[in-house]
Amino acid sequence: MFLIKKSEVLKLAEELSKTYAVYGPVVEKESNQTFFVRPDSIGDIDLDAPIPSQPPKHTVFPQIERIFHYSYDKGAKRAEIIADFKPEPKALFGLRSCDLNGVQCLDRFFIGQEFTDDVYLEHRKKTFIVTNTCVKPFKQCFCVCTDSGPSAREGYDLNMTDLGDEYLVEAGSDRGKALAEKMGLKKAGSGHLEAKKAVVDGSISRFESIATDNKAWISRVMNRITTGFIKGEIWEYIGNQCFECGACTFVCPSCSCFNIEDVNRKDSSTDRLRSWDSCSFEGYTRMAGDHNPRKPVEDRRNKRFFCKLSYSQSKKYLRPGCVGCGRCQWVCPGDIGLPNVVTYIRREITSR
Amino acid sequence: MCEKGNCENTNRAVTIPEIATIDEIKDEIEDVKTFYLSFDDKKLDGSFRIKSGQFIMCTVFGAGEFAVSLPPSPENDRFHISVRKVGKVTDALHELTAGDKVGIRGPFGNGFPFDEIKGKNVVYVAGGIGLIPLRSSIVHVLQHREDFGRIILLYGARSPKDLMYEYMIEKWQKIDGFETFISIDNPVDGWKGEVGFVNQLIEKANVPAENTVAFVCGPPVMFNNVIRDLMARGLKDDSIISTLERHMKCGIGKCQHCAIGRTLVCTDGPVYTYRQIKTLGEQI
Ligand code: SF4
Ligand code: SF4
Repeated sequence: MFLIKKSEVLKLAEELSKTYAVYGPVVEKESNQTFFVRPDSIGDIDLDAPIPSQPPKHTVFPQIERIFHYSYDKGAKRAEIIADFKPEPKALFGLRSCDLNGVQCLDRFFIGQEFTDDVYLEHRKKTFIVTNTCVKPFKQCFCVCTDSGPSAREGYDLNMTDLGDEYLVEAGSDRGKALAEKMGLKKAGSGHLEAKKAVVDGSISRFESIATDNKAWISRVMNRITTGFIKGEIWEYIGNQCFECGACTFVCPSCSCFNIEDVNRKDSSTDRLRSWDSCSFEGYTRMAGDHNPRKPVEDRRNKRFFCKLSYSQSKKYLRPGCVGCGRCQWVCPGDIGLPNVVTYIRREITSR
Repeated sequence: MCEKGNCENTNRAVTIPEIATIDEIKDEIEDVKTFYLSFDDKKLDGSFRIKSGQFIMCTVFGAGEFAVSLPPSPENDRFHISVRKVGKVTDALHELTAGDKVGIRGPFGNGFPFDEIKGKNVVYVAGGIGLIPLRSSIVHVLQHREDFGRIILLYGARSPKDLMYEYMIEKWQKIDGFETFISIDNPVDGWKGEVGFVNQLIEKANVPAENTVAFVCGPPVMFNNVIRDLMARGLKDDSIISTLERHMKCGIGKCQHCAIGRTLVCTDGPVYTYRQIKTLGEQI
């Protein structure tokens, strides 16, 4: 445990930028929205900025990326596959706890199953993570319901907590500790840990009612979704409000479905690209020959909430698939963000 | 990245395809061709192991990749795939000629049971090109004829010219105790076999209910009728086995396109018992 003066906290990011491409929360002037991006200058990183509009998932799982390329000379019957995939090392600076949990969902899903996703692993091997405790929740947050905040518990290299004049810096890995020591940070004592606890408790006491109301209900709803005890009409009601825009998927820190496409270039070589996809799209399950086993939109919506809120899916993430960031609630034009879905199901349970 | 991907655990190509050559192409029925393949990396020809019921991801260079079941037996059989033209990528495959290259990833999927069903009667029920994914198991079981009870093939197609692998069936029929019942939907001149839907053959063949496993593969309508009649005959839902098809992109349980119920066809399937299929809660 270490301490760093508030005015000097970005020096950590400066130091990291010698080895890594540093990403952090930056407030865009025109829109006043926060984005988790690589800033022009480290000084643009704003640790007090609200939760980024988009999760940092693009840093470890880009929206579109080339996984390899090839060329085929039909005349000479020669195929050449060039596997030169090499992502750059990245440091994620000032990640919120919910988003760290999102990355951990992706880790367990992509790396911790029967097969390892080499592409994702390659990104992750080179990621340094510095989290930032939320000293106050934002309007749409409900990480307290999904056990993913407001302070990170594990999975970071360094975790920072704003204690007023200084940040408490906890090391979660050897390389995190090494960095703090190299920077000559002051050691913190047990009093600082107590101060952190007070900050976190204060944060927890300030969540909006959408979070506090749903808190006790999430596990009930998870139970219902897992056991399939939810009436078809409820899914239909939810499905009918979906515009199939895919926004919820793209802003979700733990959504990871992707598409693979071979795209031919002008020089007659071909790129194999993978890009984000969404289970809300009608073409998602359509097979060659046009047979589509999953047609009605409620079938598809039901799938997303099953992914976020069922025990069977939690087995893959070792936690619920929803990390309580509230972004889908923010962006959904149909008003069926996850907290609302919990509310609908909860109403159904209580109306019996 | 490890060159082929995941090579610590397995020697199969997971992310980066292996290059293979089309040695020979055989026209099967309309719109279906068989492609005999061999790996350019000769080491793989010996070490590429498959299980009946598994599938591979096949890249047609410049067009894309598709999932396809493996018809060859895991033992002593030539490596090949039989593919129907159904879309952009398979159309492009059909344009290729002997000598052309393709890319192969896999094999993936769980595969049909083999050791578990030794000592039992085995019934194959196929409709149309549904015989393609069953071919591997049929050949394998026939290679070990003495380990099984009755071996029965019930096969139906729209017309005689829609019967897959007819030349193979003739060969299998010479094997002692291999029973075949073949039907076409509507009578045509010169047809000496059965006429009607394939589920009607179940009674004709006097399919035994005890100690029997059935492998069923074909279009959804046929599937439902066959299941109904097999169950009516007394087969248990966990001794009826099928293989499912889904839109697939990665083959390794990551892209999630093939999610069905709480399972993924690529890693939990493609082979399911009917008991499992019933719990998926989705259209097959
Ligand atoms: S489901 Fe919604 S609230 Fe939950 S993690 Fe995803 S975007 Fe955030
Ligand atoms: S954001 Fe809302 S409307 Fe858009 S796909 Fe998601 S659930 Fe449907």
